Amino acid sequence: MKSGGFTAKATAAISRFKRDSEQALGSRRAQQVKKMLLGQHTNDGWLAKIIILLLLAVIGFLYLQPVFYMVSTMLKTVSDLIDPVVQWIPRTVNWQNLSDAWRGLRYPEAFTNTLTIALVCSAAQVCSCAVTGYALARLKFPGRNLAFFLIIVTFLIPPQITMIPLYAIYGKLGWLNTPFVFFIPAIFAQGLRGALFIIIFRQFFLTQPKALEEAAKIDGASSFRLFFRIMLPLARSACLVVFLFSFIWYWNMYYEPSMFLGKDFLPLSLRLNLLQEELMGNTQINFNAGFGKDPISEGPKMAAAFLIIMPPLIVYMITQRWFTEGIERTGLVE
Amino acid sequence: MNTDSGHIVEPGGSMHPAGTLPAGDSNGMDDKQRRRRYRMYRWRDYGVGYLFMLPWIIGFAVLVAFPVGWSLFNSFNKVRITPEGFKFDWVGLDNYKRAFVEDNVYSIQLITYFQEMLLMIPLILIFSFFVSLLLNQKFPGRTVVRAVFFLPVIFATGQVLTELFVQGAGKLPFIEQYNLEGLVRENVGPRIAEPVLAVLSKAVIILWYSGVQILIFIAGFQTIPKTIYEAVRIDGATPWESFWKITLPAMVPFIGLNAVFTIVDLFTFPFNPVMDHVRANMFKPATGYGYASALAWIYFAIIIALLAVVLWITYRAAKGRRAMQ
Repeated sequence: MKSGGFTAKATAAISRFKRDSEQALGSRRAQQVKKMLLGQHTNDGWLAKIIILLLLAVIGFLYLQPVFYMVSTMLKTVSDLIDPVVQWIPRTVNWQNLSDAWRGLRYPEAFTNTLTIALVCSAAQVCSCAVTGYALARLKFPGRNLAFFLIIVTFLIPPQITMIPLYAIYGKLGWLNTPFVFFIPAIFAQGLRGALFIIIFRQFFLTQPKALEEAAKIDGASSFRLFFRIMLPLARSACLVVFLFSFIWYWNMYYEPSMFLGKDFLPLSLRLNLLQEELMGNTQINFNAGFGKDPISEGPKMAAAFLIIMPPLIVYMITQRWFTEGIERTGLVE
Repeated sequence: MNTDSGHIVEPGGSMHPAGTLPAGDSNGMDDKQRRRRYRMYRWRDYGVGYLFMLPWIIGFAVLVAFPVGWSLFNSFNKVRITPEGFKFDWVGLDNYKRAFVEDNVYSIQLITYFQEMLLMIPLILIFSFFVSLLLNQKFPGRTVVRAVFFLPVIFATGQVLTELFVQGAGKLPFIEQYNLEGLVRENVGPRIAEPVLAVLSKAVIILWYSGVQILIFIAGFQTIPKTIYEAVRIDGATPWESFWKITLPAMVPFIGLNAVFTIVDLFTFPFNPVMDHVRANMFKPATGYGYASALAWIYFAIIIALLAVVLWITYRAAKGRRAMQ
């Protein structure tokens, strides 16, 4: 009786323990799963990752949709364009539009013009902005703060204000329709978004250790040697970032060229405007011209747009990480 | 003294080695001379600074300060181009008055565009903030996705954007699907519906203007120390709470920065009507440079007001946060 009661108690205790431990194990399992799905802090689990990726995929698709549209339209024939059944994927891939656009843009010539502007100006801008940024960060002179303030102000002045006087000045100097209208401002640190680049360089040089300069100065290096031999090589990453951004923005610039460049020296962006005229002579029929959406010019236009964005896109593919990490790297944001 | 700055460039004239300066060999010198020497040294030093600044100073004087001044002067004049050059007739504020009273296009364009801008700026800011928040999380393929969202900066040529818009590619697809246009038209008055619809019709292209802003926000997130998040987590804060209480307040300066950048970025927005109008009036014999300059200055004045409001709000928000702590 006594022993029986004991065994019964013991078995009950064992079974309770078993149940408890099973429950504990089970809930541990469940917790593990939960942790994997939700993560420790709900934003580092798989579930969160999947949701984030999904969200980004949807937004990314919407975001890039015009590009897909561009490429798809470019490869369509006119009959595909008119046919409402054909949505994204053309029935036959048609390269005619691309060759039309190539001809219509006078691609080799316009490409060279755009490339000249972009390359020369970005190189000039790297040099002039680095020098200015260094002076603002490291050299002492009265009026330094005023200069920095003025640089920020320059950034905020709309180009509309200075456009008319600049047009008159360039006209007087006979620079209109030549690339000098872009070269000269870039050399004098007033190029496209020059103020922003000066600020980037300034921030970069501010983050560099002072000891380096002091050591060089004690060794008797002049400020110029110090800058060109030590500081500029140190700033290689900042230079690259500025060069790339500058290149892209010069490539994409369209307002200033449309103002200053006329017949003789046309970059790609202005050629796109003339595309229809250029091709009109070649296409005999041109119904509903003047309307925005016109199936005949639509294909070549999209092809032309594609040809224009292609070179910077290739540059971007190669140098992608310099763009996306560049802003952090230069310490602009601090 | 200032002229001294010229000497330092002379070839061979090496810069002051930092050691040779005043204190050491001052024994035999009287005080006055020493001070003079010191001052000379200072100005030499300054001279180097000015020399480094020289390209910018020239550029600023010729390509910014002078054009801005001239443009302002133009805006108070009637400018005629004669064979002998420019002729200026002072007309005071007449150009500005005409811009509002006589010009029946400009003021309407301006108002519509600013209404659009007031929609576009928050749209860009919220979108870029949201996307950068997502991109800031850890997940596989993060760099690729980051690259995708920066992509539009690469091909945002004005003409290309205009073409895309003309072809109707700038729309968000669900706008037509759910007949949002009709919805907007029904629910708000025509005054507000107009800019809303204008913004909706090029929504994607507007969002393309958020590439740099996304990068700035991501860089901004890095400035918030991780330890703060750990600390509040131990105190039992949920991610939701820590976003509102820590992330957002810390990001206020960056939101302000991005707002300013967006406003500047929109100067050359291809659908900015001010440009075309200014240019058209510039070459019109009846109006000319003077009137066109006045138009540009009106635009600038409104931009400055907008910037001031943005900076004030940022300042207030940042200050409120400091007071709370």
